[in-house]
Amino acid sequence: MRSVAILVLLLFLLALFGPMLAPHDPTAINIPNRLAPPGGAWLLGTDALGRDILSRLLHGARWSLGLAFVVSFLGLIIGTVIGLIAAQGGKLADWLAMRVTDTFLAFPELIAAVVIAGVLGASTASLIFALSVTGWMRYARVARGIGLSIGTRGYVVQARLAGLSPLAIARWHYIPSLLPSLTVVWTGMLARAILGISALGFLGFGVQPPMPEWGTMLLDARIHIRSTPLQMIWPGLAVVVSVLAINLAGDALRDALAEEGVKP
Amino acid sequence: MLKVEGISVRRGGTPVLHDVSLALAPGATLAVVGESGAGKSTLIGAILGLIRCAAGQVTWTDAPAPKCRPALVMQEPRAAFNPHLSLRRSVMEPLAKQASAGDLNRLYRLCDGLELHPDLLDRRPNQVSIGQAQRMGILRALIAKSPLVLFDEPLSALDAATQKHTARLISDMQGQEGFAALIVTHDLGYAAAFADHIAVLRAGRIEEYSAARAFVEAPQTAYGRTLRDAAFSLGALERVA
Amino acid sequence: MIGALAGLVLRACVVLAGAAITTFALLWHAPGDPALSIAEARYGTIVSEEVLDFIRAEAGFDGGFWSAFWAWLVPLLQGDFGQSSVNGRDVWPDLVTAMSYTFPLALVSLGIGLAISIPLALIATRRPGSWVDRGAVALASVGVAIPAFWLGLLLILLFAVQLGWLPAMGAETISHSILPALTLGFGIAASLTRIIRSGILEARGQPFLPAFRRRGVAPRDIARDHVAPHAAVPVVTVIGLELAFLLEGLVVVEVIFARPGLGSFLVNAIFARDFPKVQAVVILTAVIFVVVNLLIDLIYRRLDPRMEGRDA
Repeated sequence: MRSVAILVLLLFLLALFGPMLAPHDPTAINIPNRLAPPGGAWLLGTDALGRDILSRLLHGARWSLGLAFVVSFLGLIIGTVIGLIAAQGGKLADWLAMRVTDTFLAFPELIAAVVIAGVLGASTASLIFALSVTGWMRYARVARGIGLSIGTRGYVVQARLAGLSPLAIARWHYIPSLLPSLTVVWTGMLARAILGISALGFLGFGVQPPMPEWGTMLLDARIHIRSTPLQMIWPGLAVVVSVLAINLAGDALRDALAEEGVKP
Repeated sequence: MLKVEGISVRRGGTPVLHDVSLALAPGATLAVVGESGAGKSTLIGAILGLIRCAAGQVTWTDAPAPKCRPALVMQEPRAAFNPHLSLRRSVMEPLAKQASAGDLNRLYRLCDGLELHPDLLDRRPNQVSIGQAQRMGILRALIAKSPLVLFDEPLSALDAATQKHTARLISDMQGQEGFAALIVTHDLGYAAAFADHIAVLRAGRIEEYSAARAFVEAPQTAYGRTLRDAAFSLGALERVA
Repeated sequence: MIGALAGLVLRACVVLAGAAITTFALLWHAPGDPALSIAEARYGTIVSEEVLDFIRAEAGFDGGFWSAFWAWLVPLLQGDFGQSSVNGRDVWPDLVTAMSYTFPLALVSLGIGLAISIPLALIATRRPGSWVDRGAVALASVGVAIPAFWLGLLLILLFAVQLGWLPAMGAETISHSILPALTLGFGIAASLTRIIRSGILEARGQPFLPAFRRRGVAPRDIARDHVAPHAAVPVVTVIGLELAFLLEGLVVVEVIFARPGLGSFLVNAIFARDFPKVQAVVILTAVIFVVVNLLIDLIYRRLDPRMEGRDA
């Protein structure tokens, strides 16, 4: 549990304060110094426009990680609301909510996100919209599944008899029991969001240049694969390390919860 | 005050309750006895409006508010409380949002009557004994002054000594608060000792309905006699007397 | 069983209808005038208002959302995917060409994934917790974290740029397909290894197996009759997820390796704002996805009798 918190916090801090650690301006173009090899003043070298790659990576954390936090939280909220409506709202609400969920599950998430972001026009706003609107279904299924079992418990019956509003019942009686499992889903979705953001950036539908998002940086680097192959190592490595860290944290969390008897 | 008129409940085509009628006067105690599977829990659900009836109706004439439901004490004391919340929060739930000084006064008075130390209120449900949890459940049922309290097997999760103690406390609280009680139980000894009337439920029908003492002395039906003899065969008759 | 089957099929139809409406609604609300792009494709850049009105009437745009949706859906149900709004050509033949590049690649990648993951999981679970097992798990964990587009670039860097063994771009020969297939295959292998491994471990942990062993049932028979079917359940479930992974991976991999398959078709259509093509790919993907998941559901019920009659 603690290792999870520390790892995720570290990535969160990197997203927040990474840019402050950057030695150079990530968008400062310096043509005479283009495609410089690593070392010296440019620790990881420069790209085709002479921009410092290390600075771009650190600023990129704000986009790649920061947006992943935003997107995964939005998905969490949408999914939990829909899952709770299904669990609390009776048979008809359940049927409707689950068919809506199935409909959104009828497309592979990333393809749906590519289409939505692309059709709405490449921008950060459409990226956030595309990834959160395609990234809530797992939360909804988990919230519904656990919610249905909570609904039959004594204390929920008592709360209904006491005349509490569905919202209050959700807040006090459903959400505390949902949180552990939703956190496990969230770590998985955070990792997926990082991959999704960089994939969309790489395809040209995500964060737009000159903003240094990791996927966008890979798109730039791809053209120079022959002359400066190292340039495309760094952003990819940044993605892999972040995703790996979050996945390991998620596994640890799942194991810790399983020991406590919570089945995600 | 509570009138149950000819209710029937079906589940998946098979009848679980068939033409059940009961009545309860203010302050009185009615025990519904029957074996497991007789439809006792369904009856509670139907009275609370949690289960839809195929026929008949449940009326509660002098409810304190139009949408008010009777209070309920459940069989499993721990499951009746949210494990994430303090007992105080759960117990105060039936009250309106902000607890007044009068509410707190009543809370501590009820604690006293139920022999619960007020410090227990700040614990979680898994930090008190089963018996204490069940008394907390009774406390929650009484806090909002509901004139009708349903007890769904209130003793069956408790050990023998605690059962006796809890039964006594319920009876004392009823004397003090004056609520009407509908007790569903499989324990005929308990029913006979504390109820005014006994209704025998068998396979979804009311088999017999009479005053408690009359039932114990001379059951009207063969099934009633079987139940009576089973319950009192161990020389327990003196418990009633 | 027949009732359950009918229910599942009905649900699949509801989901597909929902998918069609969602897709159409997205494109309907997209910025830009679809009539204008059709007109420009047909008649050049300068078009009069009358021509636009004619196109709007023809495509049902003037009657509002539902009439336009209907004008798109009815031909679609008869197999007519409409015409490209960029070059006016029928979408279907181009779509078929694209699929002829995509499906073989998808199958080969899946084969590579299975060929790596099954032996790896079997070796790893021979002695759980040994360094072989841990190595396999670590390898799979890293593999899951590597984005397909980066792995593709790394493979190009190594095998095409540095070693010069294989071509990096295009789809003319078999050798053009090796790197894309490896890229996707490794990704599939990584996630499958984890799932098959835990499936085998869980199946071995079934409470009744020690009793069989004590009674002298041959280990081989236990493995065949009790461990394998149990381990197959999560694998079948996950094939649905792998399909999603595969389709998603195909998009980026085809772009990286410049293969004219469905993924490139989709990305190019989006960039060109050729909405009939986008709709065609999206609906096709949804049909494939829903049908495969329906089949998985059926197999699942077969493998795990407890699922019989259970909903969602």
